[in-house]
Amino acid sequence: MNLSLDRAKRVTRRGLRGVRRVLRGTARRGYARWRRSIQVRVVTSTLFISAIVVAILGAFLMQQVSSALMDGKVKAARLQLDEGLAQVQRDLGTTSEDDNRLNAMVNRLKARSGPSGLYEVYIRDTTEQYFDGYATNELREESVPRRLRDELRHAPAGSRAYTYGKLSYVGDRPSERGLIVGGRTGQYELYYLFPLEQEQRTLTNVGRSMAGVGIVLVLLLAAIASLVTRQVVIPVRLAAQGAQRLAAGRLEERMRVRGEDDLARLARSFNDMAANLQDKIGELEDLSQVQRQFVSDVSHELRTPLTTIRIAADMLYESRDTFDDPAVGRSAELLQSQLERFESLLADLLEISRHDAGAATLDAESLDMRDLVLRVVGDIQGLAERKGSKVVLQLPGEPCMAEVDRRRVERILRNLLVNAVEHGEGEDIVVSVAADRDAVAVAVRDHGVGLKPGEGQMVFDRFWRADPARARTTGGTGLGLSISREDAQLHGGWLQAWGEPGNGSQFRLSLPRVAGAELRGSPLPLVPPGAGDARPLFAELEAGD
Amino acid sequence: MGHRATPPPRPAAKRLRTAALAAALLTLGTGCATVPGGGQVVTGKPAEGAERVDDPYVRLIPVRPRASWGPDEIVSGFLAASASFDDDHEVAREYLSPQNSWKPGLRPYVTVLQSRIFGPDILKATDEQATVRVTGAQLGTISSDGQYTAAPKDLDATFQLAKNPQGAWRITNLPGEEKSGLLLTKDDVERAMRPVNLYFYAPGRDNLVPNGIFLPVVDRETLPAQLVQALLTGPTSWLNGAVQSAFPTGTRLRRLDVDKDVAVVDLTSQARGGSVERMSAQLSWTLRQLSGIKRFRLRIAGETVAPDGGDSTQPVGGWAGNSPDGRTTSGQSDQTAYLVGASGFLGALEDDHAQPVVTGPAGRLSRPAVAPDYQELAGLGSKGDRLFIAGPLTGAPAARPLLTAGRGARFTAPSWSPDGTLWTVESKTDQSRLWVRQRNRPPVLAAHWGLGGRQVLAFRVARDGVRAAVIVRIDGRLQVQIGRIARAADGSLDVGSFLPVSSELQDAVDLAWRDYGTLAVLGRKKGDSLNLPYLMPVSGSAITSLGVGALGDPRTIAAAPGAPVLIGTRSSNKDQVCRQRQVDKSFSEWICPTPGRDPSYPG
Repeated sequence: MNLSLDRAKRVTRRGLRGVRRVLRGTARRGYARWRRSIQVRVVTSTLFISAIVVAILGAFLMQQVSSALMDGKVKAARLQLDEGLAQVQRDLGTTSEDDNRLNAMVNRLKARSGPSGLYEVYIRDTTEQYFDGYATNELREESVPRRLRDELRHAPAGSRAYTYGKLSYVGDRPSERGLIVGGRTGQYELYYLFPLEQEQRTLTNVGRSMAGVGIVLVLLLAAIASLVTRQVVIPVRLAAQGAQRLAAGRLEERMRVRGEDDLARLARSFNDMAANLQDKIGELEDLSQVQRQFVSDVSHELRTPLTTIRIAADMLYESRDTFDDPAVGRSAELLQSQLERFESLLADLLEISRHDAGAATLDAESLDMRDLVLRVVGDIQGLAERKGSKVVLQLPGEPCMAEVDRRRVERILRNLLVNAVEHGEGEDIVVSVAADRDAVAVAVRDHGVGLKPGEGQMVFDRFWRADPARARTTGGTGLGLSISREDAQLHGGWLQAWGEPGNGSQFRLSLPRVAGAELRGSPLPLVPPGAGDARPLFAELEAGD
Repeated sequence: MGHRATPPPRPAAKRLRTAALAAALLTLGTGCATVPGGGQVVTGKPAEGAERVDDPYVRLIPVRPRASWGPDEIVSGFLAASASFDDDHEVAREYLSPQNSWKPGLRPYVTVLQSRIFGPDILKATDEQATVRVTGAQLGTISSDGQYTAAPKDLDATFQLAKNPQGAWRITNLPGEEKSGLLLTKDDVERAMRPVNLYFYAPGRDNLVPNGIFLPVVDRETLPAQLVQALLTGPTSWLNGAVQSAFPTGTRLRRLDVDKDVAVVDLTSQARGGSVERMSAQLSWTLRQLSGIKRFRLRIAGETVAPDGGDSTQPVGGWAGNSPDGRTTSGQSDQTAYLVGASGFLGALEDDHAQPVVTGPAGRLSRPAVAPDYQELAGLGSKGDRLFIAGPLTGAPAARPLLTAGRGARFTAPSWSPDGTLWTVESKTDQSRLWVRQRNRPPVLAAHWGLGGRQVLAFRVARDGVRAAVIVRIDGRLQVQIGRIARAADGSLDVGSFLPVSSELQDAVDLAWRDYGTLAVLGRKKGDSLNLPYLMPVSGSAITSLGVGALGDPRTIAAAPGAPVLIGTRSSNKDQVCRQRQVDKSFSEWICPTPGRDPSYPG
């Protein structure tokens, strides 16, 4: 018994929970629709407000109809009562005690009460002590409320009073509401009781029809609102779609202009705007194209004179010891070094302009990243030793094969390692390699001054320098990291930087194993483990995008 | 963005507009509703004027006993309260001590008093016990089967009272042997009880016989059920043995529902033994007295049954063939009246002229009566002491003497019952005998005749063949009474149980059955100097006078359902037959366009 009760309870609870869930879901969906659609909002508020207005109007009208009905009824009832009282006075006088005459009187009143029970009559002789008067048909004497009797008893003779009450009957007939009018003449009290069933029916009918009309009206209003908002909302939706497509780069997107109304004007303005935007963007594109072309042309044009200058400079450099004035020899050395720098700058410019022009191509081959790293580290070993830094390698045991362009990856790694040595302040440089199913990564960690917040992004900007005061003589061209990043992106990989002031920095190169595949994650963390703060002050997770 | 577009209408503004539109529509709609000021004429039928059983009625409102009342006041209060049938006499029973099992129920035994009893006498009273005597004039009694019997006498009854533990007087013993009886005044009975007819079959025939009873009106909703229950209970003691019911004995009413104007009468399974048609006819005639019921459906143990070839929902106006007025009810207006023409022939009345039918000696008979099958003619000799019979009803047939009265005796006008039996009463001032002659048999005396010791002036068998109306001299006054014709167990005729119909007439000379519920009587009311025609309802309701204008000295009256009432009168030594100018108006003036005497309708 208890078990089944418990189970029933559980089932009920589960059912309730399910219902609640469904309700909540519906509510949430409804709310979402409400928030998202103007049409739903307008129709709902129209429904709501017009329902309120119609309800108020309906209540007011019902009130009017009901009071008009009741007024008429009361008037008729009082006339009826007056007639009845006059009859009683005529028939009975004030002193007669003849039972037969009272009887005849009652019979006459009965005949008037009508077959369908238009009203009931109750007459009472206040001097009679053995019975309480006569009532017509099934009417019970309790139908005349005590308050009306008291009122009549204390009122002056000949006064009339009326009230509403419940008429109760002998037998199975249900009691009903009624209007009760009463009057007194001499020793007799006469009451007319009018059932208000007919009036109630009329009111119910009127109320029902009014409710029906109201509902139809409210629905009609909602339909109208829906139609009207539809006419407004559909062009707005089309405009929103157009704007979306425009934002997605489809600059040829235009709205259809129909008619000459407000919405047509909106479409026309939208189209104007789109045309303007298209023009401007086209102009900008052209301009940037011209600029890139210019840079590329300049670089190329500079090469020929530079070669000549280079030959001359080489000669000067080789014979520098023969100059009498040591200052001239010094100048020759300076010329030589600046020429090298100029050459590398020019090479970088050419490289970057190739990237800009989209002319860079990927010459991918399957390579072991460890080999690449070892070669590059070998190349810069000398530089590192000069700076007093030691390069620490953390390489996995198994090969880390990936389809990469050897030249570009070597360039990236060299760039990173040179940067690390230069900013490493003689501390150790850690180079880690890792691989997973989809990607390989190389991280270069130094323990130098590190990066300030926001610099993680800026390091990849062209010609950016951590210390603007630093002479251009030292360091690279300022395009190295930019090119490295372009190279990484050419592979579909990321190049990201992390750094903290005083804690050094780490650059991470992540490349997909298969050229052109999409990179989802990196096998190495961007923030080196055990780097001061667990939470990095700065991390450019999406720097590669 | 060279130009600024006008924004579309805001939803709020639109909503306001729609709401305003709604308001305007509603006000417009209500403004249009007016009472019509013209239009076509709508006609309707007048409400039926006849008093129905379920017409409005008046109830007496009883008062509960007051603690301060003495024994005499308690008895007065009890007598007043017992006139109220509300809630099974709940208030009246409060006047009784709890030990008293007085329970009058819905079919009580009633003693009818002339007027209210004022001031009962306290015969003896101690602190704890009292005896109260009431006296008054009793008019009659209504037995528990509803049969009213006139029995005028002085009432003298005593009530025993005792004080209850609360110190108030309560009635411990009621007078009379009928412990459940009520003592009501005539007015109380008129107010609380309704005369209704139950319909039963004349033995061996298809026509119905009304049986008037008094039924208390408790409330109009239970009235149909009460009526059907009374019908199932069978005829009252008055008609017991003289009529038959189609309902098998033991049939009871399971329930009766009235849905709009359709009554569903559900009988117990015993009714399966009865004929559905005959039961339906009885129900139809009984229920048609209620204005609220227009159709009825008969069920037996919950199963709806239908008469042969009929719908299961039958109109209460159906079964006209079973009318107590006989089969001629339809096309009744062509009932031919016969009269004795001025030059001595039996004539049929056509357009106020007597067309001779029978001439010769048979045409000269006085009070001629034509048999219902138009085969024979009965009449009296000129002195009224010889009964003749003649046939066929054409030419000049011989008048064969059938009976000759004894010395000093006279015959009443001959009367035919629908089966062709001829009845007449041979009457002297202090005795009478009823002669019955069946077709082709010699006349015999009825074995049991209830008015043997009295003078009878008229004897008319009703068209149902069971009831008979007489004018009889009782205590020097002529009274109209109704009796019944029954056959005793040994087959002998029993004509008796005569009951007075009305006491409003001082004197009566002739009568005729207008229809099954009404007698046309020539008589004198208190204060009348001449005999005048009256319509006297058999139920005992008030009589109404018929027509206006001088009639001379009316002597005979003839009536038939739906046919004009004819009066044979003698004024300025001329015999004339009178009728009303307009037959369907009871206050229409009398005109006497036809010379002749002794008008009659066949049957």
